[in-house]
Amino acid sequence: MPEPLKPELLTSGPLLSVRDLEIVFRIDGQDVPVVRDLSFDIEAGETLGIVGESGCGKSITALSLLGLVPNPPGRVSKGQILLNGEDLTRAGEARLNAVRGNDISMVFQEPMTSLNPVYTIGEQIAETVRVHFGLSRAAAWDRAVEMLSQVGIPSPKTRAHDYPHQLSGGMRQRVMIAIALVCEPKILIADEPTTALDVTVQAQIFDLFQDLQERFGAAIILITHDIGVVAQMTDRVMVMYAGRKIEEGSVASFIRDPRHPYTRGLISCIPHLSLPPSDVPAPLFEIPGVVPSARELGASGCAFAPRCSHASGRCAAETPTLFPVGDGRSAACWLEVEAAR
Amino acid sequence: MTETANVLEARDLVVHFPTGDGQAVHAVDGVSFVIPAGTAFGLVGESGSGKTTVAMACARLTDITSGSVYLQGEEITHLERGALKAVRRHVQVVFQDPYASLNPRERARDIVRRPLDLMGIGTKQEREARVDALFATVGLRSEQKDLFPHQFSGGQRQRIGIARALATSPKLLICDEPVSALDVAIQAQILNLLGRLKGELGLAFLFISHDLAVVQHLCDRIAVMYLGQIVEIGARRDIFSRPRHPYTHALISAVPSPHTIGASTRIRLKGDPPSPISPPAGCRFAGRCAHTVEICRRATPTLEAGDTGHAVACHRADDPEVVAVRDMLVRASSG
Repeated sequence: MPEPLKPELLTSGPLLSVRDLEIVFRIDGQDVPVVRDLSFDIEAGETLGIVGESGCGKSITALSLLGLVPNPPGRVSKGQILLNGEDLTRAGEARLNAVRGNDISMVFQEPMTSLNPVYTIGEQIAETVRVHFGLSRAAAWDRAVEMLSQVGIPSPKTRAHDYPHQLSGGMRQRVMIAIALVCEPKILIADEPTTALDVTVQAQIFDLFQDLQERFGAAIILITHDIGVVAQMTDRVMVMYAGRKIEEGSVASFIRDPRHPYTRGLISCIPHLSLPPSDVPAPLFEIPGVVPSARELGASGCAFAPRCSHASGRCAAETPTLFPVGDGRSAACWLEVEAAR
Repeated sequence: MTETANVLEARDLVVHFPTGDGQAVHAVDGVSFVIPAGTAFGLVGESGSGKTTVAMACARLTDITSGSVYLQGEEITHLERGALKAVRRHVQVVFQDPYASLNPRERARDIVRRPLDLMGIGTKQEREARVDALFATVGLRSEQKDLFPHQFSGGQRQRIGIARALATSPKLLICDEPVSALDVAIQAQILNLLGRLKGELGLAFLFISHDLAVVQHLCDRIAVMYLGQIVEIGARRDIFSRPRHPYTHALISAVPSPHTIGASTRIRLKGDPPSPISPPAGCRFAGRCAHTVEICRRATPTLEAGDTGHAVACHRADDPEVVAVRDMLVRASSG
């Protein structure tokens, strides 16, 4: 059972607040930071999108919220993760086990590797229920079947006896979501939950998320690189690059008026479906190069500068901090600072 | 159009896989299309709709149950051994996963040269020169030739896969989800490369993707597949400005659009696709379609071509009810 919350904590502050988070990995005897100076909040009922290329620190940030940063080599070296005011970075394993599932749960990207191949899907959901609610085997099994039905698995009574390999990719992902939702978490973290799926299945899964939000007021953290998904699903967007937050704002401002050159690049480098289509599609915008690895990053300077067409001397020398650009938005770019002068 | 202007033609292609108990998986059931030189033909549809099987049949990488495939006017449906090898020179494949499709123990230059070695094309020097030219074509530096696959990023690996596919100067390049395993910023680089190759080399493309935006970006003609059959086929402009099949409508409406924040005009499909082992009689989409009437379950609709080669297999494609859905989709997208 989760510890009872102090009433003053329930009424003040956001559901989850991350403050000055730093995560380091020990590589060749040195602590290499992979997430730096990261602060963000999420309120109940809200959906926050985290956007960026692979290697920007999105997934490790998500894992840190569950106390799942692989240690060694990784650890949270600075900052706080406050769940209703309680700092999870100081919580012990027993407390974290109570938080996982009950308060925060996660849907991973790979439904095949995240499910146990030697247990039926019914057993895997029922196990979660038994651990968290202490239900009997029979009651937990019934709950598992009910949950399969809720995530849209046809004939759930029969399907509960299936092993993961007997299901299609979309079905497996729905099982993962059933496991994540069965404890009715306050925060659902979904790391690229639909990347491997057809658009029609993706749409069904997002319906499930929205339903969860409406019924339980859950907060959702959605990690994705699909700008269309961001537009449809999220309220607020945080863009990460090389371990830092470089832009944050409402979804409308993110899409219609992106401020950071990296954000603009991300939005314009993918083809968007348009009806009717343009006659001759123009070549796509390319962001040159690749995300630098954490070890390649210098101590100072903007990490995006080597790929940025607007970079100046200041960008290479000084690390830009998040600068408010109005409307509750912020961007970490010297161009914005200069423009505001 | 003369027959030889088409690089590839598939006529009534059928591919069934026996299940071992006397039944068969109807992976592809009567698919016909042509791909002229210098154009890209896109196949879209959900997983399991038969897109990849069509491509594998065209490359003769799976057995064809019935129907025929013509490469540059020559029937290749039943070719064997030596003759088939000669055909493979003209049909090459770029695979989805740039990690699994490259031998981790071979250097990049050897991977790219392998098709030339296998088919005995050119002298040793000519092959090395060809490898150099291919590296330049796909945007890799020549000093990268001696590296192993793990030393490349995902996008660079896909460039190696493309260089290998181009090595034998094929007439047809089959791309099966070539960018879906790549990071978002890298997708643009590879899509631009493929677009450039289409223009510069006059290649015909058979392009498979579940991403409609990618297909719209690269393809000239598009076919929508459902449960082993083409339900709609037409020019890019027709498919994306006047989509006619209810399944095409559902696919288009399921793509989240950055233009419509929060709003959704999505058409919700009922249930899952039926089993390809015993596909239903009549229209195969009828069980999930919002417009189904009695005839849909009884009679199989045929692919009826209009004047622009825009064809749809639906009894009700011209029904005001279905047309209204299309108009709503187009309005929602442009608004």
